[in-house]
Amino acid sequence: MNEKILVVDDEEGIRLLYKEELMDEGLDVHLAASGEEALAKLEKDKFDLIVLDIKMPGMDGIEVLRRVKERWKNLPVILSTAYHHYKQEFGTWASDAYVVKSSDLKELKTTIKDILNTGRK
Amino acid sequence: MGYDILSKIIEFTDSEEALEKRLEDVAALLISFFAFDQCAIYLFDQEKKILILAVEAGSKQEGQRVYREDEGLPGLAIKTGKPVFITQFGRIKDVWQGIADKSASGFKTVICHPVKDDILYGALYMRSMDKKIISPKKKKLLAVIALQLATAIKNYECIVHLTDANKKMQDMQARLVHAEKLLALGEMAATLAHEIRNPLMSIGGFTKRLQQQLGADPSHSAYVERIVKEVERLEKLMDGIVRFSDKSGYELSLEDINNIIEEAAQFFEDEFKGSGIAVVRDMTPDMPRIEADRQQLKLVFNNLMANAIQAMAKGGTLTIQTRHEDNWIVTEMSDTGGGIDIKIMSNIFNPFYTTKETGTGLGLAITHTIVTNHKGIIEVNNNMGVGVTFVIKLPVAREQGGNYE
Repeated sequence: MNEKILVVDDEEGIRLLYKEELMDEGLDVHLAASGEEALAKLEKDKFDLIVLDIKMPGMDGIEVLRRVKERWKNLPVILSTAYHHYKQEFGTWASDAYVVKSSDLKELKTTIKDILNTGRK
Repeated sequence: MGYDILSKIIEFTDSEEALEKRLEDVAALLISFFAFDQCAIYLFDQEKKILILAVEAGSKQEGQRVYREDEGLPGLAIKTGKPVFITQFGRIKDVWQGIADKSASGFKTVICHPVKDDILYGALYMRSMDKKIISPKKKKLLAVIALQLATAIKNYECIVHLTDANKKMQDMQARLVHAEKLLALGEMAATLAHEIRNPLMSIGGFTKRLQQQLGADPSHSAYVERIVKEVERLEKLMDGIVRFSDKSGYELSLEDINNIIEEAAQFFEDEFKGSGIAVVRDMTPDMPRIEADRQQLKLVFNNLMANAIQAMAKGGTLTIQTRHEDNWIVTEMSDTGGGIDIKIMSNIFNPFYTTKETGTGLGLAITHTIVTNHKGIIEVNNNMGVGVTFVIKLPVAREQGGNYE
């Protein structure tokens, strides 16, 4: 069975890119355009992993991360953003991984695989 | 008659002339009014506690140039705060009543008058070959003149201090405005970078997918490859901007500056050799540590070295000096690349300013920001036609005895 992952990003282009690229990796990819939409989808469905953008209008990624970890403690979250410095920020400590956004998705793909493989063991 | 000279003295001391010219006028006036042969005016150096000859007027001018505060007749006058009047039939010898003062030697009348209000400013030293009786009225007049002189010197010093302070303030303000400008530019750049990054990422990502799907079709692959490359270049630029405006996330540790510089220099070893650049190291060993983000600070020296290499494409010498100065660790990097054109000097730390065809204009801006974030100072000394020296001052870590804010 394909692992189900939720991509949360306010940029349509990036959502579509992630979807195509991650589908090629054999993943079942679902999309959310905002933090609110993401939380609503998480209530209805069970996911294996979330890829979460930090900087979004409305509820930002850090807040989404906090709520996710409160409710679904074991659901892995990968934070993705343009900024390196969030790495050191308090709010990001709870995430399972941190990826700097780039048109080269190798790092993201490897990170997803690593986390899913660890979860399977 | 006394009012005449007083109004003249006030006129001289209040004029716009340089202090020395005003003192000369006063000395000349005193000579003619009191009919003395010589008049010297000494100014008191508050730090060194000595009297220094400022002006002399009259016949032979051979007064002693410097008096310690306890030396000679001027010393006596300033110690007691009262004027010394000597009038005698015979000539004064080298030593008068146990006080050695060769300036008085050979004269019959000598006046040493302190110039002071609450503070000592100097002394008047008048000498005459003739025996002159100084009337109480003239003594009083001289006291008023000395006080007027003190006021004039005080005003002059005030103006000098004020001008000085004013200039310092203007410099500081200019720096502040510059720093604010850099900050505003940085913030604007960061906002822009973020806005550009996301669409850029989908452009790049989809182009890469296109590249995969087209395979090795030579009719399209060159175009696609070009797009991918340009996007990568832009992404790198955006990365630089984000790093430039990134103030948080410094990981500080105690570092040896020599060690960081050495590491940066090793990185460029091949380039130095390739361009025929000799690297001269004049580094002070065992200096106190600084508190720094090693990676960030290495970027500072990387940027400066890269610039030096570009400035010395036809060879030259890069001199790297480090030293410990008060609470600062000072690094000087001098190249022999001919210096920076004076017209562009004021722009070199501005982001996006570049003279290079392939430059992003961020190197020195990032360098400036990193040094400032380390509570340091970076300065450029430009020696037109010779080369440039970058001076970087970083505070000694508090645990190492530094006491910066």
